[in-house]
Amino acid sequence: MLSRLAEAFYWIGRYLERAEATARLLAEHYHLTVEDRSVPEDVAAAVVLDALSLPHDVISSPTELVRALLGDVANPSTVIGAVGAARENARSVRDALPGDVFEALNGAHLTLTRGLTAAASPGASMFRVLERLMIVNGAIEWTMTRDEGHYFLSLGRALERVDMTARLLDVRHDLVWPDTGPVATLRSAAALSAFLRTGETLTGDTVREFLVLDPTFPRTLLHSARAAEEAVRGLQVQGGVDDAALVREVGLMRARLEFAGGTHDPSVIDQLCHDTQVSGVATAAAVADSYFRQAGTIVWSH
Amino acid sequence: MRAQAEPGSRPAYDEMLDGEGRPRPGLRTVVEVLESLGPEGLAERARLRDAYLDRQGITFSLSGRERPLPLDLVPRVVGAEEWDRVDAGIRQRIKALELFLTDVYGPGEVLRDGIVPRRLVTSSSHYHRAAFGLVPPNGVRIAVAGIDLIRDEQGEFRVLEDNLRSPSGVSYVLENRRTLAHVLPEVFAGQQVRSVAEYPERLLDALRAAAPSDVSDPTVAVLTPGVHNSAHFEHAFLARSMGAELVEGRDLFCRDDRLWMRTVRGARPIHVVYRRIDDEYLDPVHFHPESLLGVPGLLNAARAGNVAIANAVGNGVADDKAVYTYVPDMIEYYLGERPLLPNVETYDLGDPDQRSFVLERLDRMVVKPVDGSGGYGLTIGTTATDAQLAVVADNIRADPRDWIAQPIVTLSTCPTVIGEHSLESRHVDLRPFAVNDGDDVYVLPGGLTRVALPEGSLVVNSSQGGGSKDTWVLDEGDRGAGAEGRPGLPRVTRVRRSAVARQSAPATADDRLRQQEGQQQQSGPDPARGGPSC
Repeated sequence: MLSRLAEAFYWIGRYLERAEATARLLAEHYHLTVEDRSVPEDVAAAVVLDALSLPHDVISSPTELVRALLGDVANPSTVIGAVGAARENARSVRDALPGDVFEALNGAHLTLTRGLTAAASPGASMFRVLERLMIVNGAIEWTMTRDEGHYFLSLGRALERVDMTARLLDVRHDLVWPDTGPVATLRSAAALSAFLRTGETLTGDTVREFLVLDPTFPRTLLHSARAAEEAVRGLQVQGGVDDAALVREVGLMRARLEFAGGTHDPSVIDQLCHDTQVSGVATAAAVADSYFRQAGTIVWSH
Repeated sequence: MRAQAEPGSRPAYDEMLDGEGRPRPGLRTVVEVLESLGPEGLAERARLRDAYLDRQGITFSLSGRERPLPLDLVPRVVGAEEWDRVDAGIRQRIKALELFLTDVYGPGEVLRDGIVPRRLVTSSSHYHRAAFGLVPPNGVRIAVAGIDLIRDEQGEFRVLEDNLRSPSGVSYVLENRRTLAHVLPEVFAGQQVRSVAEYPERLLDALRAAAPSDVSDPTVAVLTPGVHNSAHFEHAFLARSMGAELVEGRDLFCRDDRLWMRTVRGARPIHVVYRRIDDEYLDPVHFHPESLLGVPGLLNAARAGNVAIANAVGNGVADDKAVYTYVPDMIEYYLGERPLLPNVETYDLGDPDQRSFVLERLDRMVVKPVDGSGGYGLTIGTTATDAQLAVVADNIRADPRDWIAQPIVTLSTCPTVIGEHSLESRHVDLRPFAVNDGDDVYVLPGGLTRVALPEGSLVVNSSQGGGSKDTWVLDEGDRGAGAEGRPGLPRVTRVRRSAVARQSAPATADDRLRQQEGQQQQSGPDPARGGPSC
C-alpha cells in the first residue's frame, strides 16, 4: 500500500474518533450546564476548552460553547473541522474505500456544514451528529476488507481514543461539579451503564480508574492501548519495514496499563493517564517514521 | 389563559399566577421564555420533544400499545419552603406507615388499642397470612413509596392516597428533566433547580441495606413481569441506572431456601429482589398457583432470611383507601406528632351514619373503589348521570367495604400547552417518590406531576390519558447566572490545561500542489465548460 494512502487511512480513523468524542463530550456538557447551574458559565466552558487545547475567548453561555466546539472547517480539533478533515482524507483514497463508507462520511460532512446546528436545541443537533458518525463507523465495520488500510484506520482510531479519553479526564468534572460531575464524565464516554454494571461506588476517583484501567469497555485507556497494539501487530505480519521502535512504543503504552497492579491510588491513576497520553504521542511519531516517512526515501524539493 | 367552569365549589389554586396575576417565584423566566418563543417556536419545540422521546423509546404501554408519556413543555414549579414542608410530611407519613405494617403483621397493638378498626385490616384483600411474622432483614417494608398529593383551593398540599406496593413513574421524573433540558434549555436560565439525578443511587443504597446481614456484597435484581407490562420501560430504566440485573420469573428459582438466577456460568445467588410484580403473582406456592411471573418458594426463602423482598409482601393493607382514613391517627399513635400533611376528607362507608350522609349527597362526591388504581372505577358525582349514580348507590349498599367517598376537591391548575401552541389551565396532582434505607427516608425533590388533559377534567392518571410535567423544586434563593457557586462549593479558580498538544495531519496539499492538480487538462464532460457538443 502507498505510504500516502496508509497515512490517509490513519487520519480518517483519528479524525472520525475525534469528532465523535468531541460531540459526545459537548452534548453531555451542554446538558450538565443547563441542569446544574452551580458553576459560572465561563468557568464551565473553560475547563472543556482547556482540556481540548482549544483557545477560549470570552464564552458566556452554553450555546456559545457549542458554537466554539462545533467550530468550522478550518480547525480539525472541532467537530465540523474533524469531520471535514476525515472527508478530505477519504477523498484522496476514494478508490480504496468502499462506497458505503465514503457516502456515509460525505453525508455526515454535508449535514454539519449545511448548518443543522442552527437548530433550536444544541443538544438535539449533537445527537444527530453522533448518529451520523455511528453510521460511518457501521459502514467501516461492515464493508471494509480487513487489509492494511483497515489496520491503519484502526490504529488511528485507537491512538485518538487514548488521547481523547485522557483529555476527557482532564476536564475534571468531579472537581468542578461535585454532585453531577462523575456521571457527566461517564456519559461523555458513553460509559455510564458499563460502569454501573461493575457495582463500584460512583465517585470521581472510581470513575477515573474505570476509564483508565477497565479492560472490557472500548473507550478506556487500557482497551484502546490494546487495540492500538493489535493493529501494529497486524501490520507487522505483512513485514517489510523497520518497525522495532513502533512495536516497543505501543507495547510500552499497553504494558504500563496492563501491569498497573490493581492500584486504587488516585494520584497513581492520574500519572498513568498522563504517561499513556504521552506514550500515545510517541507511538504516533513512530507510526509516521515506520510507515509514512521512512528514513532514506528521496524527496524532491526546491 | 381562559377562566373555566370548575367542577368543584371554589375556584382552583393557580400554581402559575398569584392573586395579583403576577407569575409566582421561579416562574418569571419560564413565562418570559414561553412568550418570546411565540406559537411558531413552541410548535417547533414540541416537534423536537416528540422526536427525542421517540428516539429514546421513553414509553409506557396502554392496552398493549407503546406510546410516549405526554410531556408538557411548561414545568411545574414548587418553592423551596413549600417543598420542605412536603418533604417533612412525607417522611413522617412513611415512618408511621412502616410502624403500622410491622404492627399489623406482628403484635397488632394498633388494633388492640382500637386506633384502626380490626375489621378494616382483616377484611383487606391485601392482608396476607403468608406475610404474617415475616420480618425483613433490616425491618424496612416500604423501600419505595409514591405518595399522591393534590393542592386544594387554598393551595395547601393534601395527601390523596399512598402507594406502598409498586409505585410507578419515577423513571419519567428523571427522563422528563433530561428531555426538557434537551428541548427547552432556556427555561432553566438563572435558577438552580434541585437535581433528581441521585435517585437510582439512593434506591440502590436502600436495596443493598435491605440485604441479609451475613452478605457483604449483595446482588440486587429488579424483577419485572416482562416486556408487555405497562411499566416495563421503568423497570429496565431502574435496573440499568442502578447497574442491577433485570430478571423475569423464568430466570429465577429457589433451592435450599435461597433465590438463584440462571446464568451461563450456572446458578448465581440473589440477595435482594426489587420486585415490580403484585403479591398475588409473586409466589405460586402461597398465592395464585397459576402465576407464571413469580418464583415458587420465594416467600419461604424470605422467611428463612436469605433474601429480602422489596417492597415487602402485604404492604397493600396500608395503602388501602379505607385504611388511608386512619393514617393521621397512626401518626399521632406511633410518633406522637401532629400530621404535617393533611388527608382529603374521606368517608368510611362501613360506618352507617357516614354511609347515609354520603348516599344523600352522591352528586357532590367522588366515589372510588378501595383497592383500585389508575383511575379505574371512580365516579365523579358532578359529571355522572342519574343512572350512573343509582348504580354507584347500589354498589355501596351491597358492599360498603369496597368503596370510599370524598367530597370533590378542585385540584390546582398549571398552564399547559394544548393543541399546537395555546396555553391553557389544566388540573394537576403530584406524586413525590421516597426511598427508605432503614436509617432515613429520602424524598426525591419534586416528583411526577400528572396533568388532566381534557378541559376541566380532574382525572390525571396516565392510564386515563393524562400527561406529565417536569417538576422543579427551586433551591434557596434564585441565583443569577455567573454568581458565586452554592455556599460550601469550592470556587473553581485554576483550570488545568492539557499538557499534550493536539496532533493533526500534515498539511499535504500546499497551494502550489493544489493549483497544479487543478490545472491538468481533462477531456470529457466538464460541467464548468458545458458538456461535449454532440
